[in-house]
Amino acid sequence: MNKEELIIETRQLEKKYVTDTVETTALAGVDLRINRGEFVAIMGPSGCGKSTLLNILGLLDSPSGGSLKFLGQEIGNSSERQRAKLRKQNLGFVFQSFNLIDELTVEENIGLPLAYLGVSKAETERRVQEAMERMGIAHRRSHFPQQLSGGQQQRAAIARAVVSDPKLILADEPTGNLDSVHGREVMALLSELNERGTTVVMVTHSPSDAEYAHRIVNLFDGQIVTENINSRKHAAELL
Amino acid sequence: MLQNYFKIAIRNLVRNKVYSAINIAGLALGVASCILIFLYVQDELSYESNFSKADRIVRVVGEVNFEGQQDNFAVTPLPLENEVRKFAGIQTVTQLSKLNKQTIWYNNQAFSEDNLLIADSSFFTVFDYKFIVGDPATALDAPNTIALSEELAIKFFGNAEQALGKVLKFSNDSYKVTGVFRNEKHSHLDPSGLVSNMSVRNRLSPVELKNLWFNLNYYTYILLPGEAQKSGIQQQLDNLTTKTINPWLKENRLNAQMRFLVQPLKDIHFDSRYAHGLAPTGNMAYVYIFSAVAVFLLLIASINYMNLATARSAKRAKEVGLRKVVGADRTQLVSQFLGESLLLTILAMLLALALVEVLLPSFNTLTGKYFTSGLFLQWEFMLLLLAIILLVGVVAGSYPAFFLSRFKPADVLKSDKMPRSGSAILRQALVVVQFSISLIMIIGTIVVFAQMRFLKNSDLGFKKEQILVIDVPYGDSTLVKRLPVIKQKLLQNPNVVQLSNSHSIPSESLNRTLMLVEQDGKMVEKTIDIMAVDYDFIPLMGIEMQAGRNFSKDFKSDVDGGFIINEAAAKWLGWKDPIGKKVNTGDTTLVGRNAKIIGVVKDFHVQSLHSEVKPLALELRPESPGYLLARIAPENQEATIRFVEEQWKQFDQKHPMEYFFMDEFFDRQYKAEEKMLTVFGYFAGLTILIACLGLFGLASFTAEQRTKEIGIRKVLGSSTGNIVLLLSKDFAILVVIAIILASPVAWYGMNKWLQDFAYRTDLSWWIFALAGTAALIIALLTVSFQAVKAATTDPVKAIRTE
Repeated sequence: MNKEELIIETRQLEKKYVTDTVETTALAGVDLRINRGEFVAIMGPSGCGKSTLLNILGLLDSPSGGSLKFLGQEIGNSSERQRAKLRKQNLGFVFQSFNLIDELTVEENIGLPLAYLGVSKAETERRVQEAMERMGIAHRRSHFPQQLSGGQQQRAAIARAVVSDPKLILADEPTGNLDSVHGREVMALLSELNERGTTVVMVTHSPSDAEYAHRIVNLFDGQIVTENINSRKHAAELL
Repeated sequence: MLQNYFKIAIRNLVRNKVYSAINIAGLALGVASCILIFLYVQDELSYESNFSKADRIVRVVGEVNFEGQQDNFAVTPLPLENEVRKFAGIQTVTQLSKLNKQTIWYNNQAFSEDNLLIADSSFFTVFDYKFIVGDPATALDAPNTIALSEELAIKFFGNAEQALGKVLKFSNDSYKVTGVFRNEKHSHLDPSGLVSNMSVRNRLSPVELKNLWFNLNYYTYILLPGEAQKSGIQQQLDNLTTKTINPWLKENRLNAQMRFLVQPLKDIHFDSRYAHGLAPTGNMAYVYIFSAVAVFLLLIASINYMNLATARSAKRAKEVGLRKVVGADRTQLVSQFLGESLLLTILAMLLALALVEVLLPSFNTLTGKYFTSGLFLQWEFMLLLLAIILLVGVVAGSYPAFFLSRFKPADVLKSDKMPRSGSAILRQALVVVQFSISLIMIIGTIVVFAQMRFLKNSDLGFKKEQILVIDVPYGDSTLVKRLPVIKQKLLQNPNVVQLSNSHSIPSESLNRTLMLVEQDGKMVEKTIDIMAVDYDFIPLMGIEMQAGRNFSKDFKSDVDGGFIINEAAAKWLGWKDPIGKKVNTGDTTLVGRNAKIIGVVKDFHVQSLHSEVKPLALELRPESPGYLLARIAPENQEATIRFVEEQWKQFDQKHPMEYFFMDEFFDRQYKAEEKMLTVFGYFAGLTILIACLGLFGLASFTAEQRTKEIGIRKVLGSSTGNIVLLLSKDFAILVVIAIILASPVAWYGMNKWLQDFAYRTDLSWWIFALAGTAALIIALLTVSFQAVKAATTDPVKAIRTE
């Protein structure tokens, strides 16, 4: 953490859902700064706005109010096309339910982001191979998602998230559908990615998963209630 | 990326077999019908286009106003050719006439031909028929020469080359074959042979040539130097009529006026205004109807694709979300889904081509055309295929593409928040459109069917059944003289009930004759259709007398001085009591000089029920060529015919006996309608089939979507019947709405169609009720298959699916 470079900065971020009769406030003025190289965990009870926040940070959803800066650039009101461009160049996603495309093999799933980036075929092959090896699923390359265990699917999903070498990885309950052994395995992989320099923002219910983060943000009713530095993690890193 | 899209598309198709099969089969059926209809329409629209000068050829047609009655004729007077030749701004003019049916002989072989034309070599300057042998420039220059069509040459000689120089015999003369040309089916002219007119023309003196302005028997065609000259020709034709023809008519005390018009060659096929054309005209209405049907079929199949694609969209939502997450923008997703629908369309197209290949022979039989799969290689056809692929692929694909690509990843990637499967209202509206179209087709089919039944079962005023009609060839006077003896021989068979000979029979076009008739004590000129018959015609045909009497051998004067008219004629002439009224044909060479009306028959239909009964006069000619009619007993019909044939052979070794049944011959006038009925029937079946395919897919989707609801209802005690009703009800409502929408449209369209008939069936309510019930039953059967399947599933399984 030598130089503090801001990746994400939000000010008074708001999100309201309006249906026919009810207006629900999901986020009510969130101020959050995430620096390059950080590992941030967002925690809180169900319905507190964790996923909404993650989706907005991941440019999958747009805020109703406030400011959202990504790499210093205001993008709160940018177009879908612009956001799509920023996403594919800078962001990687990991989901609770893996979200691999059933009709594509492991290899094809992992290569997908590179296809949208217009990376050459040879380069794609090289980078997919590297990502699969890093995640230990190279031997499953031509299987379809349904033929894999949950742990393997999530490793494939992480491989897909990192293959384009993103600046920021957003993980939404990445261990939620996994047993504890596979869960630890996945957290170790995320941690390792973070150690190599990738910024990670993760939503989780699990205190033990949160232990992997540098900083834990607690959300309640759409607002940040506490922000704790994970001293143990810092201590570990200082060693 | 493309490869990736392609993979996904193919894997999706393979994984969802039922869905893919419904879509591809529906589209293939739609596209195949569309291709067949295109072939038909293109063929209809391309008449005369094989003649290289088609755009510069015009036909001269006549409007003749006689006694205040206007007639339009495709035929023109003989002297017109020489007058037109003097016109400025023409390249050449040619005139032809039709030869009566002939029995043509070569050695011992004989064929009957009624498609021979008389012309000179200028014919081939105007119409560039391709000659296989012989020289078109000189083929018809000499008298007694004939140029044969390839078909006729093959019939006689096996091939075209053999025909050259051979001598054929007909109408007591010999004709040398000077050339063989390729048949040109795409034309109102499709002569089996062209006889040199030198033999005919030389017999006429210049005076006679000048005096034949009222003898309309010739088809006149003008070749112009360019398309622009048409108006100039019209001006000169008008000058000719005002300065020469109409004065001539007046001079000859004919209360008539003529006008000649220029008709472009390419207009002839669809212009049905002119009587006595060389070929039956096409019907533009059918071209429109079939084109509409083609578009409808494609539309219905496309709707299936749209409905099923959006219904299944929930299943594709995750993929869309994910692609967006990893950086796909909307344009890329839209093109991906459009690509998928294009791929599906191409697959359907391949299947459709195979279908067309298989169906082509039956389609040819149905339409009487000659399509081959060689057509597939024509660029127009390729263009059509490309157009269909793009149109269906893009039109059908665009809604699902835009709909699917709209999903927000944040919504669809959470497993507990599945997106709704597109607008159910839109899908329902599209189903209503499909069923409305199907219903219009079904109602149309029933109406055509009902009208055909009406036509065939209507009282024609004569009994057309059980009348055997035997051809009595023209130009064989010995045979005609022998007719009384032949009749005697035939009557020896008890199954031959009655015999008569007549010059013409119902459904043939009749000669129209100029007559002087008595009105208010004066003789005035009238033209009337005339039919020459013998003593037995009226009783044999079962025509009833309304007043007076039939021709009788007891009255010698009947032969030259008796006429029988129909009720329509009596009414037209304003005669309250027609018996004894004076008539005069004016022509001393014909019967009827100073004749009298001796009887009135009740109206009978000489022409089809398309038209009203026209005024008609029957004249007595006991021995005339034309036809020998035999009313035969229904028992042992085949034996009776064999007997007649044997007897005939003894009297006429020169001509093979040709016969047919009067009812079949008469009903041939409804061939177009009959064809339309068959084609309509097929396409109505197809539309409902394709619509049901879609309904089947949609029902299976709905059942799947409502699995949980069904499970819960069953746990709470609902019976299988209740569930089936629940699932079927929604679709039944759509069909009912379709019935309400389709009925007035169908009523309007079919009412218009029926206007073509002077006598027609009613558009009664039962037609609509029948069509609606049929559609409802078919739809319910389709839906209930899925509903029953869903309703009989184990409820535990259903609930657990979540």
